[in-house]
Amino acid sequence: MRLFFFLLLGLCAASPAGGQSLSAADSARHVLNRLAFGPTPGQIDTVVAEGALRWADRLLTESRPADPELSRREAAFSPRQFEADALAERLEEARRDRQRRQQQADSGRAGREPPRMTNGPGRTLAAFQQVAVVRATSARDQLREVMVDFWTNHFNIYLDKGLERALLPEFIEETIRPKALGRFEDLLLATARSPAMLFYLDNVRSVRTGATPPQLARLEQSRRRGFGVGRGMRRDSLLARLQERMPTGINENYARELMELHTLGVDGGYTQHDVTEVARILTGWGMRQPNRGTGFEYHAWAHDEGAKTVLGVSFPAGGGEAEGKRLIQLLANHPATMHHVSRKLCARFVADDPPDGCVDDAVRAWQASHGEILAVLRAIVHSPDFWSPRSVATKVKSPFEFLVSAARALQIQPDTLPALAQAVGRLGQPLFRQASPAGYPEREDEWVNSGALLERMNLAVALAGGRIPGAMPELDAITPEDAGPEALVDAVDHAFFAGGMSRTTRDAIARELADVHDPGEARALAIGLALGSPEFQRQ
Amino acid sequence: MSVSRRVFVRAGSLALVSLGLDPLFLARAAYAAPRKGGSARGPVLVCLFQRGAVDGLSMVVPHGEAAYYRERPRIAIPRDQVIDLDGHFGLHPALAPLRPWWDNRSLAAIHAIGSPDSTRSHFDAQDYMESGTPGVKATPDGWLNRYCSHRAEHEATPFRAVAFGPELPRILAGSAPSLAIDDLQAFGIRARQPAARDRLTRAFEAMYQGAGTGLLAGSASEGFEAARMLQGLDPGQYQPAGGAEYPRGRFGRSLSQIAQLIKSDLGVEIAFADVSGWDTHVAQGSAEGALGARLGELGQGLAAFATDLGERMRDVVVLTMSEFGRTVRENGSAGTDHGHGTAMLLLGGPVRGGQVLGRWPGLDESSRFEGRDLAVTTDFRVLFGEVLTRHLGLLDLSAVFPGFGPEPESHLGAIGGA
Repeated sequence: MRLFFFLLLGLCAASPAGGQSLSAADSARHVLNRLAFGPTPGQIDTVVAEGALRWADRLLTESRPADPELSRREAAFSPRQFEADALAERLEEARRDRQRRQQQADSGRAGREPPRMTNGPGRTLAAFQQVAVVRATSARDQLREVMVDFWTNHFNIYLDKGLERALLPEFIEETIRPKALGRFEDLLLATARSPAMLFYLDNVRSVRTGATPPQLARLEQSRRRGFGVGRGMRRDSLLARLQERMPTGINENYARELMELHTLGVDGGYTQHDVTEVARILTGWGMRQPNRGTGFEYHAWAHDEGAKTVLGVSFPAGGGEAEGKRLIQLLANHPATMHHVSRKLCARFVADDPPDGCVDDAVRAWQASHGEILAVLRAIVHSPDFWSPRSVATKVKSPFEFLVSAARALQIQPDTLPALAQAVGRLGQPLFRQASPAGYPEREDEWVNSGALLERMNLAVALAGGRIPGAMPELDAITPEDAGPEALVDAVDHAFFAGGMSRTTRDAIARELADVHDPGEARALAIGLALGSPEFQRQ
Repeated sequence: MSVSRRVFVRAGSLALVSLGLDPLFLARAAYAAPRKGGSARGPVLVCLFQRGAVDGLSMVVPHGEAAYYRERPRIAIPRDQVIDLDGHFGLHPALAPLRPWWDNRSLAAIHAIGSPDSTRSHFDAQDYMESGTPGVKATPDGWLNRYCSHRAEHEATPFRAVAFGPELPRILAGSAPSLAIDDLQAFGIRARQPAARDRLTRAFEAMYQGAGTGLLAGSASEGFEAARMLQGLDPGQYQPAGGAEYPRGRFGRSLSQIAQLIKSDLGVEIAFADVSGWDTHVAQGSAEGALGARLGELGQGLAAFATDLGERMRDVVVLTMSEFGRTVRENGSAGTDHGHGTAMLLLGGPVRGGQVLGRWPGLDESSRFEGRDLAVTTDFRVLFGEVLTRHLGLLDLSAVFPGFGPEPESHLGAIGGA
């Protein structure tokens, strides 16, 4: 009996559809759509030759492919401009420049001195958005890019919140990317200690009630003694300003989102009391000033050393910095977290409303592997739900997925101009600019609406027509220019849809091709229409 | 300043009353009359969602409460800077542009309003306020969409329910068609030559029509129809009336385009826009500062909208909403954390303005929700329901707010004759 079971399992593994009527080409297209940002021309054939599940399994192992070509592309962006210290300095420079011009305007000297061309961080941040598009489009290690997109969204940071403009790039580079395929607990701890998260969700402002930072204490002492730091009026006004700005108690923002969004989920069984206790545990988790070597810094003066209880687990008094790590471990490995994050992964890889089966498989793998992300993904890909006809070619792409899959289909090698990143923004998903800590939604009804669809069609036509600067399509990779209408549509269907183009789409394209006589124009039209078609919106 | 000329909104209604005609009755009669294409005029509801949870206590300030000043030493709005409304409440000074509409009684505030659900999660609370079913997550559609599908007799126009922004909000999700417009000026298939545009439109329209009845097909067909109707409208050249000046930025642009759609008689009944930036955990400021800047944009936008629409404001109600309020006590960062009850604003001809509605629970610790937040004394569905029935003429609320049937006497008296 047991032998029979293993035999059956072996058969299922050989044919991923597990008996369902999924062709080899459909399976290949499916894994390329879900574990990568869609096929490049010819890639479906490559995956068919290897076998879709075998290809997927190879992706889901520890060894990651080297990618010198991508490194070269990244280097073209001068990555040093993305370092937090450099960005913070330029933010500060731009601020001083603005202030100076304002003062000049106030004193009636406006216009005398032309605004200095300070190299503000705006262009750097646009370049950083473009880096995300370049990586997703061109990286050989597509799975890493898919997971970077997933975790960037799971641990969403809002670029436009003040200092975040200096901190966000390092968050992606140092916190998300290196840990995107590792253990969840390590990733969670890294985000909890990242300046970007500490700042975004205000933990840097959360201190024990009554805590006095050392610089303020020194000033107060010097005033009492009448000597020392600063003098007289100047010292008093500095003191007043500092007192005004200094936090005087806890801030619950991070504590709540840590449990609601990053770990347990909103129904994960925590209470308002737990939120407050978590905030107390994390008091003192702060950062160095960005212009002095940004990084995590623990402030003992700000930490609440009292006893706390979270989810029934007690944290005795005097826990210091270490109790925060204990808390992160507790949350990272809590059953509610396994379920919440597994379900989110299944919503991304399987279906908007994932069946319980694949979520259970993922949770079991999480338990067995202590939260190894690759193990969880393997379980999802091996779940029958992943291959079910209800999952295949049903999920609507997010704007980012749509744009990147289109760029891959056209073999665009995007350059450093941020045109494609801006296009994602126009489609409704400006990168790193979702204000809500919940990140962007995963559901089709959140992305599909009349205005957004028309924009996708416009972008499809513009991309195929080579009208986006810095994003030249390689249409020859899909079909030669002189193929003739029939062969043209066949080639597009084969490259994009593995033969799955609908009759209606095929007819609509053929009808318009009939009176287009210039072959180059006809090819661009056919490809643009295919990218804007309903089937290309799905994955 | 054109404000004095705008007093007609209320004065006009009064004139009708003096003739013995209830302006609401007139509005209803006009609504019930069959409408022809191109002259679709009826009541309009504009909903503005303050995402992030606005601090209702500093938007509509209970300056008569000692507890307000005691709990907020750094961020309370000083009594002498509040725009006093009735001796107890006052507007944040950044809302000064709205003063004329309070004075002519077309602006009202509702205080201590919110959800019966106690969640302090932005996402859950927004979800509940948009689905209209607090505590129930499974509700698939939004309450404005349920209103539209229930009142199917409305003239079929893709512009009946329009949301401004790149996404269709939850509140309008559902079976009734509704439109999401990011920017009127760029809406539709674009091409340099009209012939090329027509070719692309024809091809895409055929593909999506053939794609069955799903969300993709439905949304695309609404989009194509709307784009056709918008041809000839030139949003880039739009000149607001009455010297109205919309604030710069997305919110101002959304409001001015809503005004343009209403004035173009395309049949807008429901319009929706987001106005974000209210999650003031840190340094929210007092009379000036982060919150003041956001309220300044809100006040200037609403004032411009009412000025621009002029006479048309007689048929229009603007309703602001926010998922919950913020803590009574300021937090350790001179900001406020997630709370419970908040305040909402109602602006328009049909509004019984010049009053702060709702039962005020007080701010003493014993009267607060869970000892920390402003209590909710008015379920948001009471207000939303009153707007739907008294302004839009809905008869049966149970289809829109299932399981919730406020008696007519529980109405706040926010909408109706003077």
